This record gives sequence, C-alpha cells and structure tokens, in this order.
Amino acid sequence: MICALIYLQVQSIKNRLRVRLRRLKKPKYLVGAVVGAAYFYFFFFRNLFTGRRDVAAGTADAAPPETLLMFESLGALALFAMVLSAWIFPHERAALVFTEAEIAFLFPAPVTRRTLIHFKLVRSQIAILFTTLLLTLITRRFGGGGTAWIRAVGWWLILSTLNLHTLAASFARTRLLERGVSNWRRRVVVLSALSVVLAAAVLWVRRTIPPPEASDFFSLDTIKYYVRHALESGPAFYVLYPFRLVVRPYLAPDAHVFLLTFGPVLALMLLHYWWVVRSDVAFEEASVELSRKLAEKIAAIRAGGNWHSTAGKQKKKRPPFALRPVGTPAVAFLWKNLISAGRAFTLRTWLFLALFAICIGGPMGASQLSPGWLPPTIGIVTAILAGYSLLLGPAILRQDLRQDLVNADVLKMYPLRGWQVVLGELLAPTAILTGAQWCLLLLAVTMFSRIPEGDAVPLTNRLSFGAGAAIIAPMLNLISLVIPNASVLLFPSWVQIGRERVGGIEVIGQRLIFMLGSVLVFAFALLPAAVLFGLVFFLSSLGMIAALPLSAAVAAAVLAAEAGLAIWWMGRLFERFDLSAESVS
Amino acid sequence: MIEVEGLTKLYDKFPAVSDLSFAVRPGEVMGLVGPNGAGKTTTLRCLSGIIPATHGAVRIAGEDLTTNPVAAKRQLAFFSDEPRLFDYLTVQQHLTFTARIYQVSDYQEIGRRLLEELEMADKIELLPGELSRGMKQKLAIACGLLHSPKVIFFDEPLTGLDPLGIRRMKDSILKRAREGAAIIISSHLLHLLEEVCSHVLILKNGRKVVDGTMGDILQKFSEQSGDANLEEVFFRATGEAKEGK
Repeated sequence: MICALIYLQVQSIKNRLRVRLRRLKKPKYLVGAVVGAAYFYFFFFRNLFTGRRDVAAGTADAAPPETLLMFESLGALALFAMVLSAWIFPHERAALVFTEAEIAFLFPAPVTRRTLIHFKLVRSQIAILFTTLLLTLITRRFGGGGTAWIRAVGWWLILSTLNLHTLAASFARTRLLERGVSNWRRRVVVLSALSVVLAAAVLWVRRTIPPPEASDFFSLDTIKYYVRHALESGPAFYVLYPFRLVVRPYLAPDAHVFLLTFGPVLALMLLHYWWVVRSDVAFEEASVELSRKLAEKIAAIRAGGNWHSTAGKQKKKRPPFALRPVGTPAVAFLWKNLISAGRAFTLRTWLFLALFAICIGGPMGASQLSPGWLPPTIGIVTAILAGYSLLLGPAILRQDLRQDLVNADVLKMYPLRGWQVVLGELLAPTAILTGAQWCLLLLAVTMFSRIPEGDAVPLTNRLSFGAGAAIIAPMLNLISLVIPNASVLLFPSWVQIGRERVGGIEVIGQRLIFMLGSVLVFAFALLPAAVLFGLVFFLSSLGMIAALPLSAAVAAAVLAAEAGLAIWWMGRLFERFDLSAESVS
Repeated sequence: MIEVEGLTKLYDKFPAVSDLSFAVRPGEVMGLVGPNGAGKTTTLRCLSGIIPATHGAVRIAGEDLTTNPVAAKRQLAFFSDEPRLFDYLTVQQHLTFTARIYQVSDYQEIGRRLLEELEMADKIELLPGELSRGMKQKLAIACGLLHSPKVIFFDEPLTGLDPLGIRRMKDSILKRAREGAAIIISSHLLHLLEEVCSHVLILKNGRKVVDGTMGDILQKFSEQSGDANLEEVFFRATGEAKEGK
C-alpha cells in the first residue's frame, strides 16, 4: 500500500516539475529562470564550483572547541524551547495535514492508520530535504568544501527529529485529552516542571559563581561566561543533554567526530519514530476539519479575498466617508479601497495624528528642558521614515489593481473608461501614503528645532522644507504606485495578483528583474521633475524660504502630468487586458 | 437587444468561438447550450465586454461594444456562476458602490425593493463571508439589477440555489423578459431552458450548430424522429452519445 502512496507523491512532484519546465517555453519565464539561476549561482553555488572557501564558513570551521561548545549549548537551548512549545501552546487535537483530494481518496480506502502516518512521514521528508538544502546553502556551508555534507546531514537530523517529536507530541496531547487531562492542566504541569528546572539552574549558578554586578552586563565576555556556566554545568547541562546530542553532528569539525556523534542522534530519532508509529490516536476527524479549513483558505486566496472572511472572522469596517450615488466614479474605488484598508485609515485618524504631532512635537521641539539630542533625533528619524515610506509604501499598501485584478471580470464589466478604473484604484494607497507622510513631516518640522549639539533651525526654514516635501509627496506617491500597477497590466504573471503566492526559480528571477526595472523607471520618471525643480530653485529670486515650496509645486506639476499620461496609457492597457489569455497560457 | 456578427475568440491559435452570429430581441430569452468546452462562457464573457473578441461585432441595445463600450456596458448585466464580491464590503456597501459606478441616483429605493424581492432585506449589514452561497448569488443579482439593465447574461444561474431559489430565479428571469429585457442564459439544465427560453442556440467546438425559436427547433427535430425535447435535440445536434441509448 505504501508503494501506491509513494507513487502518488513521486508522480505529483514529476508533474509539478513538468509544468514548470513547460512554462519555460514562454520567454518571460525563461528570462526569469535565467536571472533566478544566476542569482542562486552567484549567491550560493559559486564557491562550490571554484573551490574557494567562504570567509564566514572558514571562520566557523576554524572555531575553537569552547566556541563550538557554546554553539552546541545555544542550539540545544533553542531546540529545547521548540520542543517545549509543542507541549505548551497547541490546544487542538492531533491532525495530520492532507489535501482534500488525499482525504477523498485515502480515508475511505482500505488503508491502515499506520500507513497513513508513514505516508505523512514520507511526504514531510520532501519538505525537510528541501529545507535542509536551503539551510545548508544559506549557512554557506557548500563554500566550506569537505564539510558541506556534514552540515547537510546535520540539518537533516535536527529537522527530522524535531518533526517526529512534534508529531509524537500532538498524538500524546490527544491521548491526554481523551483521558480527561485538559489543555490547561497539561500546561500547568509542563510549566511547573520548567519552573523547577529554571529554579534549580539559577540556584546552581548562584552557589557556584559570584552574582554579576551591573557593570558586568556591558561586557560581552562576562555575559558569555555566565551563559556558558549556566548551560554547560549543573542541572541545565543534564536537561539539555538529549538536545545536545541532536545538535552535535551538525557542529562536528570532521568526519571522524561526525560518525561518533551520529549514532546517538540516530538512536534518538528511531526512538521517536517508534513512538509515532506505535501511537494509535484517531487523527482522521481533526484532519478532515483542518483540510477543509486549508482548502477554504486556498480558495479564498485564489479568489483574491482575505481568507479570514471564510472563517467569519472578518469584521465589518466603517466607511471612511458617505459615498453619494452620483459623481466621479473613481471616488467609488477610493471609498471601497479605504474600507478594504481598514478602520485605521479615516480622516479622523489622520487629523488626530496631526494634532498629536503638533501638541507633542511643538512643545518638545521648542522646550529647552528636554535633552538636546532628543527632538532633532526624532525629527531626523521621522524625516527618514517619510523618505523610506516612499519606497516601502507601494510594497505594503496593495489596495489597488494588485488586489482587485483577480476580480477583473467585475471591473471590466463596469461602464467606465479604463483610465477611470486605474485612477480610482490608485487613489486609496496614494491617499494613505500621503496622509502618513504628512504626519511624519509635521513631526519632523516641529521636532527638528536645532541641529544635534548645534545651532537652532528657524521655524520659517523648517516650514519651507516641510511645505516643499508635503507638496511633492502626493505626486511622488502616485508615480511610485503607478509603476507596480502598470507592471500588473503589462506582465500579470510577473507580479503577485491577489494574495496567492507562487514559487519557482523563474518567479524569483522575475521579481529581481521587476525590482530593478521599477527602480530604473522611478529614477527616469523623477528626472524631468528634478531638473525643473533645480532650475526654479536656483533661478528664482524669491529666496530659499519661498523658492523651495514654489520649486516643489513646479516639480509636482511635472510629476502630475507624467502620472496623468501614465494613467491614460494604463487605462488603454486595462481596456485591452485579457486575463483569460494569461490563464490559458 | 443583442446583435452579434461574426464573433470569434482565439486563445493563441485555438478558436474558442468561431464566426458566431445571432440576435436576441427585447423580451426574448435565449438558451445557450453546448457540451463542456463548447465556448459558452467565452461567448458570454465576450458579449459582456469582460474579454475582448478577436474578430466580429457585438451591439448591446444599439451600442457597439468595441467602439462605445461605456454606453454598451451601461445597458447590460452579467451574472457568472460564481458570484464575484468584495469580501470587505457589506451588502449595503456593495449596493452603494455599484450605484456610484452606474450613477443610479435613486438606488436606495431600488435596492430596498430588490433586497426584499430577493429576501435579504435583513442582511444588509452582513459581509459576503457571513452569507451562504445562495445569498451571495442573490447579492450579485441585486447589484447587477440595480441599474435596470436592458440586456442580461446568466452563466449557470441556478448553481448553488435550493429548490425555492430555483423557482424564484426562473420567475425573476421571466419577469425581466416581460419587462422588455433581452436575456441569454447559459446552462446545462436543459429542462430549465425548455421552461424559460423562447429561443435556443447550440454551440459545439465554438461553432453554432442549431439556432432558432424553441418551438421551431423542437418541431424540426420531431419531424425527423418523433417527439423530441430539448435534451433529444441537444444530443442529436451535437452528436454526443446519450447514456443508455
């Protein structure tokens, strides 16, 4: 029977790979795959072929025994925390994750519970092997030459043992529930045992070495000394011993030590395996429920919705303003997408934040009592945050075409021109981003009353800078949001639409190309505005205070014209947009 | 009314719909039938402007869908088998949003009547996630009918409805037709189409194989081999094997 299940798994992987390879026939996926492969080669694999040792790997390999022991202790402690969490936090019954199709085929079939567990274990091995490869690559161990395989097997042992323990713990928790031991009773017992261990470890440390003084906390060596003493001797050493066994093969400096440490962890793993397969716990009902929830979640995500809605958890959100039935249709999209963004983004919130910035920032900036460095530091930080929001905002705020294009059928049926839909979709994230930046600018203007440890900055200068930034911010935001939204229309399969995530080396490559392209387009779009800004600023005879907002207004007008052209062009793209062609291909 | 001339839709080189021409006048209900993959949904999506046709012309209430899409779309409503809703808008907010898009100034009164007719007047504050599938379908219908469309497309309208819902849906379709709407229904439920439709168009591999009034078609096929119902007509016209025969 297990052969049939392995066949299912192998064929699924083969077919998935075949689909990925077939996709490479399209140039956009092929280019993405080439760029993705190049990224992986240069970032991870280069040293594997050249034989050069990675600097980080080299230093770790050459680590002295006491450092390795420290790593071992910390690794064991981390594992201990993970194992402990498997006994404290979960509250549900044991449920193995199966797809709905697997449940439909396997649960009514003449398959024993033990076979299903084996199937689950075999399948989890695929994920573990992939994670092992990834972790080994990330820790740059392939650059370390001969010890790479030790790290890979080490990771595999750690992940497999942890996986088996998590599964066994879920079975044990279910068994306890069946015997009338509630979740809270179990937690109390586990936490009590943990308290005893902690108390014993603290007592041991206090009795064996003098307590640290306040100044000790500023010395890394002293902290290391205390940590090592607490973990490598006394009760903590014995409690962490099984976890040390699991970590040791990964840290083995050579094959000989690895083989010596391999035996105990293998025995521990087999013991866990025996524990799992001998557990006769009914997991089917909980698995069916879990699979149903997962299927609902996937369906909701594919439909572009929030999966919480399927669980009835989504809460009704108050509209940001009353929408009249007649007027500019684009405003309807602003209204809709502001509701989607949540109740935080209302006019009242922004006014409150602005008032807060004035009431707190104003007095603090003007006060001679607060520490001299604090207000300007806050001012600088908020100004930097405002700048960063320009880059990060479009990635975070996706209440635009990227969210709605999964509902393209509905949008395309509306009696609107393409540019009206595009403009409407861009308004909400632009408004949110601008609101946030204006609040940050207000705080920066009020706080940046003096240069740190230096002269005072006149209010007129600050207001001039603030007004200039505030004038240009909405248009900068609009341009920065136009880029990802235009990309969705130009390359729908290159950009994440809705909330469904797709993977693959070609998709990583596509994202890299997209990121680079976005930066270039943004820089190109800013160029005319920057030139005009400079010309007006340097040629006007108004003086800096007035010249700055004026130059910003001229630059904003240029950016507005660019955004207008882009929106018109995107509208044409939207009218011709055929999502079905993407789906079919 | 709906006028279609030489409608063709290609996916790459694959013809999903080929050279399709027909007309549906006000008050007529046309059943669009065909085996799976015949091109029914593609046809409806082209007619409602969701996807562009590769060739051909579509006129909705006299407005060309390609050259004057806004005016054409103002006259139509399309109901897909899977209701597409915004999961963060309540029932009332869906109506408010739709009203602004279609500029329906008296939407509150129309919306109230529609919700009462669809028996969901007490659900205006609920989110789609809190509605059953049938209720979601009703909400989509309320939104679609808010602007009193002259042309209506239904794609498998009875999916997910209970028997009472099916009865009400049939009545609702006939009521809209009596009020002068031109309607196209795509469905595999041939007995429903036989009850509701005045005309029928059978598609196979994207091509029209039969087109005419329900009475004429049934009569034509009855002359060939005794009494025929739409099911018989479908099997003979498409050459599909009927199970057990």
